[in-house]
Amino acid sequence: MITFQDVTIKYDDFTAVKNLNFEVKDGEFFTFLGPSGCGKTTTLRSLVGLIQPTSGEIYLDDKDITNLPTEKRDIKMVFQSYALFPTMTVYENIAFGLKVKKVEKAMIKQKVADIAKKVDLAAEQLAKKVSELSGGQQQRVAIARALVNQPNILVLDEPLSNLDAKLRVQLRNELKSLQKNFGITTVYVTHDQEEALTLSDRIAVFNKGEIEQIGTPEEIYEQSNSEFVCNFIGENNNITKLVTNHPERFDRLNLEENNAFYSRIEKLKISLFGQTYPLVEDELSFTGKIIDSEYYGIYTKYSIKVEDTVVRAVLKEKLSLGTDQNEKVQVILSQQHILQYK
Amino acid sequence: MDTLKNRWNKWNPVTILLSFFIIWFVFAFLVFPNVNTIYETFFGTGTFSLEPVEKLLRSDRAVQSVLNSILLAIILVFTVNIVGISLVLFTNYFDIKGASILKLSYFSTLVYGGVALNLGYKLVYGKNSPLTDFLTQINPNWDGNWFSGLFAVGFVMTFACTSNHMLFLSSALRNVDYQTIEAAKNLGASQITILKNVVLPTLKPTLFALTIITFLTGLSATSAPLVFGGKEFETITPMILTFANSSSSKDLATVLALVLGIVTIIVLTFMLRSEQKGNYISISKTKTTLVKQKINNKTVNILVHIIAYILFIIYTMPVLAIIIYSFTDAMAISSGFITWDSFTIDNYLLTFSSLEAVRPYLISLGYGFAGSFLVVAFCLLCAYLMKKYNNRLTRTLDFMLMIPWFLPSTLIAVGLTVTFNTNQWVVLNQVFTGTLWLLLIGYIIVNIPFTLRITKSTFFGINQEIEDAAKNLGANAFYTFIKVLLPIILPSIMGIYSLNFIGILPDYDLTVFLYHPLYEPLGITIMNATGNSASADTKALNLVYTVILVILNTMILTAVYGNLRFRKRKKV
Ligand SMILES: Nc1ncnc2c1ncn2[C@@H]1O[C@H](COP(=O)(O)OP(=O)(O)OP(=O)(O)O)[C@@H](O)[C@H]1O
Ligand SMILES: [Mg+2]
Repeated sequence: MITFQDVTIKYDDFTAVKNLNFEVKDGEFFTFLGPSGCGKTTTLRSLVGLIQPTSGEIYLDDKDITNLPTEKRDIKMVFQSYALFPTMTVYENIAFGLKVKKVEKAMIKQKVADIAKKVDLAAEQLAKKVSELSGGQQQRVAIARALVNQPNILVLDEPLSNLDAKLRVQLRNELKSLQKNFGITTVYVTHDQEEALTLSDRIAVFNKGEIEQIGTPEEIYEQSNSEFVCNFIGENNNITKLVTNHPERFDRLNLEENNAFYSRIEKLKISLFGQTYPLVEDELSFTGKIIDSEYYGIYTKYSIKVEDTVVRAVLKEKLSLGTDQNEKVQVILSQQHILQYK
Repeated sequence: MDTLKNRWNKWNPVTILLSFFIIWFVFAFLVFPNVNTIYETFFGTGTFSLEPVEKLLRSDRAVQSVLNSILLAIILVFTVNIVGISLVLFTNYFDIKGASILKLSYFSTLVYGGVALNLGYKLVYGKNSPLTDFLTQINPNWDGNWFSGLFAVGFVMTFACTSNHMLFLSSALRNVDYQTIEAAKNLGASQITILKNVVLPTLKPTLFALTIITFLTGLSATSAPLVFGGKEFETITPMILTFANSSSSKDLATVLALVLGIVTIIVLTFMLRSEQKGNYISISKTKTTLVKQKINNKTVNILVHIIAYILFIIYTMPVLAIIIYSFTDAMAISSGFITWDSFTIDNYLLTFSSLEAVRPYLISLGYGFAGSFLVVAFCLLCAYLMKKYNNRLTRTLDFMLMIPWFLPSTLIAVGLTVTFNTNQWVVLNQVFTGTLWLLLIGYIIVNIPFTLRITKSTFFGINQEIEDAAKNLGANAFYTFIKVLLPIILPSIMGIYSLNFIGILPDYDLTVFLYHPLYEPLGITIMNATGNSASADTKALNLVYTVILVILNTMILTAVYGNLRFRKRKKV
């Protein structure tokens, strides 16, 4: 188990990370998610031991590892750029950590062969120079190089960010199954919300050097507990104006305490004007006009003007065959799905 | 570059020891001798006196030599840049027929610098050369000593000082993102506009550094003015040399060297200020390699080809002359006339028949190996510390190590001889003047700035994550350095090592101040053989020396750079 206790990290006068407190459980896939520059890499590097917190402690199980140098920590890292050693072959790269530990030659050979197989690197790739590999293969070498040391904890800094979209999805799945097979505690950094949601057991959402929320993907998505998290994850309609214009209709919301209201775009329902839609008890219906639609194949996204608010909604099937422009529609909001913030 | 304090490495005793060593070295050999020289000059009698300055101003010859040197430096900045840029464009940018042959000749200055090159030019253009004979035949009034004075010095040095252009400007040009050129074409730019507004601006930082080097070379030129300057064109350094060798005017030598230093610093400050404006950072993500440009305009194309081949002739003739004459007898060498009977291999037999004859070689090789090894090791260490600890101390160090660039090598040399003439406390009361050490120290010092710049840029070019990864996998700092970092930077380190090496081998300008009289290095020997008074036999011997030097340097460079290119190709 990893514990961060009041960890603050400064670069000279600039505070990159402020007062972090969180735990990562054994075997967990834990993700740092946040926009660029919010301190994810910094936090990760302090966990790995490449930088030192300005204040606070980091514990591994019950041991204080705050001052332990990286080479003594059993936490291995896969770097954002992979950081493969360009002058060595694939084999030499993977064997590097074992060689440093003075493991027997035959043993090294065995272990490298095993891990290469597990990450799906063919034997003939091992003799190649790392510069002769594709992006995806390089990533697997980087992972193998970390995993072959059988670390307690594996740490990955945006390992998929350099890859094209298709490979990213493929490797994301491979990564997940690798982690499952090895049962290894994994700390993962990304600014891609889709990656975070699909991979993680739990997610910590960072904002400007502080953690805004920690929770399972569902919690983070369905019950975002701050306006920042709500906006960072998923797509939203800001319906504050609509709510304040009709306070009497939104009877289930806490209008006294909150003054910002959002609804995720897939929670909105649309029905053609004139068609009757049976409203459930917490649902409200508003009349609007379609002003734009974007066709995505799997779904279509509509922009609808309701009073002076533009809301977006998605539908699996297109509304009608003809043009959707200026079509009058009903927008149905379910109050229980409205996220409200101070 | 963690600005965070690294608690574990902070008190590493090895680091501390090495840091102290560096600080001592910088103080003892870069700062102290120069400060001491200045002090000795003006406070030599115990009180401050401007007497040496007045003495200097009274000497018309000395004042004229200062002016001559500045004039030469300014002229060279223009001519060397023009020729250098042309060479680079002809070999790398324009599609010229026979470019690979041209390249070979343009690169020749790399393998026979300094005095060896002077020897070659003397054979081609000097008195008794076939060319001079030919000119006299056409025009009986033609002066046999026509190739001397400012024109001759400027001419020789213009073509002699383009090696750095060939090396660094070429590589900068190859790094130009071809897509920017294509984009410019696509936007309708003409070839000349593309060259002027797209290509050359990206070369500006490199050109800037080359300009500084050229200026300094011109300012402290020694061997070329000695050989070709004659009475009417004397420059500072030979003058300093004369003064330094007579005890009554030693102070004059220092003042002259100081003048040289002051001019250098003024020019550098001026240039550094203008550099700030012209910098850019490359932002291209997907570089494509340069494709050679065919010149569309037919007349221009022919003209460019003609110029390229004239340059080819100019560059080839001196080398050819050295090689050909090295196979001729004394008669041919002294008269310049070659007949079929002149050819002989006696010169080579003579050279290798006695140890005495190869002695200068062995001495220079020793200095070359040791000097460039030490300077590279020293700079590696400094660069490593600078990367690891980016603080005020290392930044000061960086600046201090540039001192040899700000001061002409002549001043450094004078400083070293004058200072270590007596026992000095900074070096534990050792006397270095008149020992073999002084020259070694000199070679190390003058090669520091350039070596450091290269090592630093390669070091800082390594992705920080690579080092982190090695450490994360359990390697300590030393292991990481040896097994991971060093192999990555090795090609550039080998490159700079060999450049230093082939620079030291035939060096004259610095050597002449510092060498041990009983251990005459190659540069001195060859220079002595270049003078008019040298006997034909000595000349013959030195032609052989030079040929061997050329072969040796060529081998070193092909080994290092050939290998480099091979690696690069594999990478892509
Ligand atoms: N070596 C450094 N010196 C000074 N400031 C730094 C340094 N490294 C990072 N920072 C600053 O610390 C903040 C956090 O940086 P960090 O690299 O942790 O961001 P990140 O969340 O990983 O961003 P990204 O998603 O872009 O990788 C940034 O504002 C950055 O400018
Ligand atoms: Mg990062």
